[in-house]
Formats: sequence, C-alpha cells, structure tokens
Amino acid sequence: MTAQAQAQAHPYGTASEKAGILDWVMTVDHKKIGIMYMVTAFAFFLIGGTFALLMRLQLAQPNGRVLSNATYNEIFTMHGTTMIFLVVMPLAAGLGNYLVPLMIGARDMAFPKLNALGYWVFLFAGIFLYSSFAFGGAPDTGWFSYAPLTEKPFSVGHAMDFWALAILLLGLATTTGSLNFIVTILQLRAPGMTFGRLPVFVWTILVTSFLAVFALPSLTTAGGLLLLDRQVGTHFFNVAQGGSALLWQHLFWFFGHPEVYILILPAMGMISEIIPVFSRQPIFGYKAIVLSAIAIGILGFTVWAHHMFATGMPNATLAVFSADSFLIGVPTGIKIFSWLGTMWGGKLRFKTPMLFAVGFVALFLVGGLDGVHLAVIPVDWQVTDSYYVVAHIHYVLFGGAIFGLFGALYYWFPKITGRMMGEGLGKWNFWLMFIGMNLVFMPMHVLGLLGMPRRIYTYGDGLGWGIWNLIETIGAFVVALGILLFMVNFVVSLRKPATYEADPWDAFTLEWKASSPPAAYNFAEIPTVKSLRPLWDEKHPDLADWRVRE
Amino acid sequence: MSSQALAARPRDDGKERTALYIVLAAEAVFFGTLILSYLYLRVGQFDWPFNHPTLSQLIIPALNTAILLLSGVSAWGSERAILEAREGRLRLGLLVTLLLGLVFVAGQVFEFNRAGMRPSDQAFGGVFFALMGFHALHVLAGIVILAINLVRAFAGDFSPARHMAVSLGSWFWYFVVAVWLVLFAALFLI
Repeated sequence: MTAQAQAQAHPYGTASEKAGILDWVMTVDHKKIGIMYMVTAFAFFLIGGTFALLMRLQLAQPNGRVLSNATYNEIFTMHGTTMIFLVVMPLAAGLGNYLVPLMIGARDMAFPKLNALGYWVFLFAGIFLYSSFAFGGAPDTGWFSYAPLTEKPFSVGHAMDFWALAILLLGLATTTGSLNFIVTILQLRAPGMTFGRLPVFVWTILVTSFLAVFALPSLTTAGGLLLLDRQVGTHFFNVAQGGSALLWQHLFWFFGHPEVYILILPAMGMISEIIPVFSRQPIFGYKAIVLSAIAIGILGFTVWAHHMFATGMPNATLAVFSADSFLIGVPTGIKIFSWLGTMWGGKLRFKTPMLFAVGFVALFLVGGLDGVHLAVIPVDWQVTDSYYVVAHIHYVLFGGAIFGLFGALYYWFPKITGRMMGEGLGKWNFWLMFIGMNLVFMPMHVLGLLGMPRRIYTYGDGLGWGIWNLIETIGAFVVALGILLFMVNFVVSLRKPATYEADPWDAFTLEWKASSPPAAYNFAEIPTVKSLRPLWDEKHPDLADWRVRE
Repeated sequence: MSSQALAARPRDDGKERTALYIVLAAEAVFFGTLILSYLYLRVGQFDWPFNHPTLSQLIIPALNTAILLLSGVSAWGSERAILEAREGRLRLGLLVTLLLGLVFVAGQVFEFNRAGMRPSDQAFGGVFFALMGFHALHVLAGIVILAINLVRAFAGDFSPARHMAVSLGSWFWYFVVAVWLVLFAALFLI
C-alpha cells in the first residue's frame, strides 16, 4: 500500500501524523496532550532507569567504586523523585488524558486550555528539577526529604530549594489535571453513561483525581514551610527553636501514602480493562471493584503514620495505624479476586497486554503481602529502613504500576497509532522484565532481613550481602534489556504500514468505536450507552448486555 | 436570588462552578494542614507566647476581621446586583470589596510589624508569618480577580445571563473571608 493509499484508507486522513512541531506546542487536544505526557514521562523513565543501573553497578560488589558517596546520594534521590513524580504520575495522566474522553463518549476534556497548561507546567518543573545538576548539585536527601537534613545548616547550596520549588510546581500541574478529570467525568459523559456503566479505568482516574486534590495540599504545605525555613529563617522543622522534625514526616506522609494509591489505582484500572477483553467475559464483580477502589481511596488517608512506626509514637497511635493498615488489605484483596474471577472460565488469550496484566496481579500480590508484613509493628521495627522496604515499594510500583502501564501501552498502542505492536518482541519484552524484576527485588527481602540498610552507598566484605547484591545487579540489566526491546518494538511497529483498524482486540468499550487514531473530534455522532460494554452491545445486538443482564 | 435570575443561567455553568468547588476543597486542605501544623507545634511547646492575649493585642486583628467581614457583604451585594441587572451597583460592589480587601492586607502587615514579630522568632514567629502571609496572598489573588471583573464591569461585559466570573469571584472571596475567621480564632482567641 502506498502512502497515499494509506491516507485514503483512513477515513479522517493522516493529519495527526503530518503535524508540525507548532501543532504540538499550540495544541489543546486531549489526545495530543496525552501523547506529550507519555513521551515526556518515558524520557524521564529512561533517565530514572539509568540511575537505577548506576546504583546497581555501585552495589554489585562490596566496596564498590563506581560512584562517590555524594553522587550516590544524588542518584538515589533523583531516581525516586523522578520515577514517582515524573514517570508514573504523568504516564497515568497521559493515558487518562487520551482515553477518558473517548471512554465516556466526549469530544474533549472539560477545560482544554487548562489541560495544556498542566502539561507545560509539568514539563518545566521536571526540567527545573534537573537543572539543579548544573547549579551546584542535585537534591541528595532521598525522595521524602526528611527534616532536619533538608534544613539550611545541613543542606547548604540550592539543591533543596530546587527540590521544594519543583515539588510545588508539580503539585500545581497535578491539581489542575485532576480538577479537569473530575469535571470531565462528572459532567461530559455521553447519554446513558451512568456511574454504574463507567469503565473501571475511568472510575480509578476519578478516585485518583480526588486523592490528588485532597493529598497534594499537604505536600504543598510541607514544601512551602521548608522554603520559608530555608529562605526566610522561620523554624518550623528546627527542634532547637520550638519547631518539630516530626512535623515534616506527618505532613509528607499525609500526602505520601495517598500518593501510593495515586500511583497504583490507575494501573489497577488499566488491567481491569485489559483482563475482561482477553478473557472474553465482562469484569467479575463490577460494583465490588469500583467500591473497593473508593474504599482504598478513603482508607488511604488514615494510614500515613505507618511510615513512622519507628519514630517513638505512643502505643495507642501505633495500634490505630497498624489496624488501619491491615484493613486496607481487604479492598485490595477484593480487587485481586475480581481479576481472578474475570479470568475464571474465560477464553483466555495471552497476548502481550494480557501477559503484563496477569504479571501485575502476581507481582502486586507479593508487594501487597509485603505491605501486610510491614503493618505488623514488631516486624516493621525490625526491617524499617532496610532493603525489605525497598523490595515492598518496588513490587508495588514496578511490578504493579509499571507492569500495568506497559500492558496499557501495548493494549492502546493500536488505538493511538493505527498499528499493532509486534507480538514476538512483546513477549520477549514481558518475560525479560518479569524474570529480571524478580531477580532484582526478591533478594532485597533477604538483604532486608540480613540487616542491609537502604540508601548506603557501599558495604563491607564478609557480611554475606555480596552474592545477593550481585544477583540483583544482573537482574537489573535483564530488566534493562527488556525495556530496550520495548523501544525497538515501538520504533519497528511505528514504521510498519498502518492498518487503521478501529477495534483490533474485539474490545468492549467506547474508545474502540472511534477510528484508530481517532479524529480530532473523537466521535462524529455522540454515542448512546445502554450497558457497561457499549461496543459489545453494538457488535452482538442479540446478546447485548442490556438485554441479558438489565 | 429570584427564581427568574436562576432560570436565566446558561446551561453549562456547572462546569466552572464544580471546578471552583474543587479548587476551594484543595485550598481548604492546604489551610487545614497549616493550622494543624501550628496546633502541633503549639501543643509541643510549654511557653507559647500568646497563651493569654491582652485586649490591646486583639484590637487591630479584630478591626481587620470586621473590615474583611464587611467586604464579604459587599461581594455578596455585587453578585446580587448583576443577577438583578443593576450594573451601577455591581461596579460599586466590586470596587468597595476590592478597597476593603486592600485595607485588610495593609492592616495585617501593620499588625505584624506593630507586634514586633519577626519570622525567625522561635516557631511562633514563623507560624504567624506563614498563616497570615499565605492568607494575605489569597486575599491579593482575590483582589486581582476583583480588579479584572471591575474592568469588565465598566466595559459592560456582564448581564444576568452572563455573570459567571462575578459569581466565581464572590465565591472565592467568601472562602477567603471564612478562612480568615478560622485563622483569627486559631491564632488570636484560643
């Protein structure tokens, strides 16, 4: 097929592929903004991943000499800050931007200009944070920046000012984005798209947006007070002058724990779209999965002090936060059963998106169970600030969030580009990441129990840590190879001739009704929705959900 | 608000109103965490300097509070005026609200200096500086909104069917007034 014939094959032409740079800079279209979010976040993912490889090289053997102690501190701080604020959040925001209007049958987000503003603030905040490398060094106090280490006497130079300002800017970007999602989902749904028919991904974006609106202000307060301490000379976190270092921890974790759900809930939503399509069944327990997402969102605000069990809080406080942390395992478990129930008895098709979705369920389960261990206070005291905690967070955020996001990229790539990703490379990509990630993070449990503290830049010989660290480093490069294959697959697939197939997975939800890629206005005619699976209904009028179930 | 005015509202004004509510919810959490931070520090300290404020310490903050409350009334009056198509009263209402807001900010700065406080005076200096300062910044933001609305009012840009900016400006202003009432009680009365 020639290029011209291709352009004709696609009902709306290939305008988006010929778009010049100005079309991207000036755009307020939710799909282009979504793509820009994803591309930017992926670039930061490569940087943050490179930092991880550098750390693994340094720790591969005892007394490593790859990085100096000062550089190591900068690298692990920037790795965490990057992955959380510049990778997982914007990747989810990008997919949400692209998909939410399509999934609810709308033509765009509620406030397109505000949408563009949010992206540009995010981009410049990221560049601003990274410019600290050129102005006397990057932040080096860890991604949660505990006071008093961040106060002026202990963090001279401007690194912490860069960090705090970047955090305030990113908070602004996320708040505008969340506000836009909430208003869009509340007010722009197509006729018949009731809350009981909202795709699970849209629900999780809605819950996540509310979490962001209520959690981020606490981080803004923390960052604002830190800047006042450093620049104006106040003493909020200075114990000697009547301030409190623990105040920082409370403010940070009141944001920081809901943040974990801000990172994981969208990924849960993504696999809740993928698993039904590749099991050929509707999602099992739709109401349960939606209500459990809401329950996780609410409970997420009541557990922040479980990050502070080792700070000497009163026993009663410990007990309350421990109990709440156990409680949050219940709605999480409900979700796991919903996914398994969806697969049970279905016609399973293990295409790459499905592999990543099932990988998510397995790995997230490990991370979740680690979380339950850490809610047991004596266990937490034993392994706090050790590699056990690092294992937990990575099973949740890499095995969970990143696997969900990769599955989503494979699943929605045909919608965004009009082309399929290669299956062969996709499977290699998955298995390398799956095996590699277990090689990196499973031994961290052992190291944590052996007493290896997190964030140390090196360790001595004869502690029995060397072999585990070496396995982890090998695993890290296996993961890196998997991600390299993803990029190869991405580029190769983009160069293949487009098929513009609207619905290549035989899917259920409205975004697959639009052409691939969708026209600027998404739908020529706004669809009317009668059930949770409007596209299934359209393709199978006799078996339509609204006939069979309602 | 008459039922006629309600009926005259454009159909999609819900979008903007919802957006404002969400912004105000986020702002409320922001001030909430600031106030809780202050209480956390205060409870942890035996000799908080303003445990028993004297009448002379209270007089200017109380006056300021009265001025801000008054501005809340004029903000309400301006929204009501445009719904009733009284453009002259709209301009007056916006102008009065704006001027009272400026007087309030000036009064806050005056009071902070009169009390001889500095941001670096132990934790409490920072508490007063941050809580009064962040609130004053919000008042200034409200004043910018009022100023834009005032220019538009003089240009004849508003009508009963086209009043969203005035309404949202008023709602933001009520929020700023309400936050100050809480801050006043928390900083000066308890």
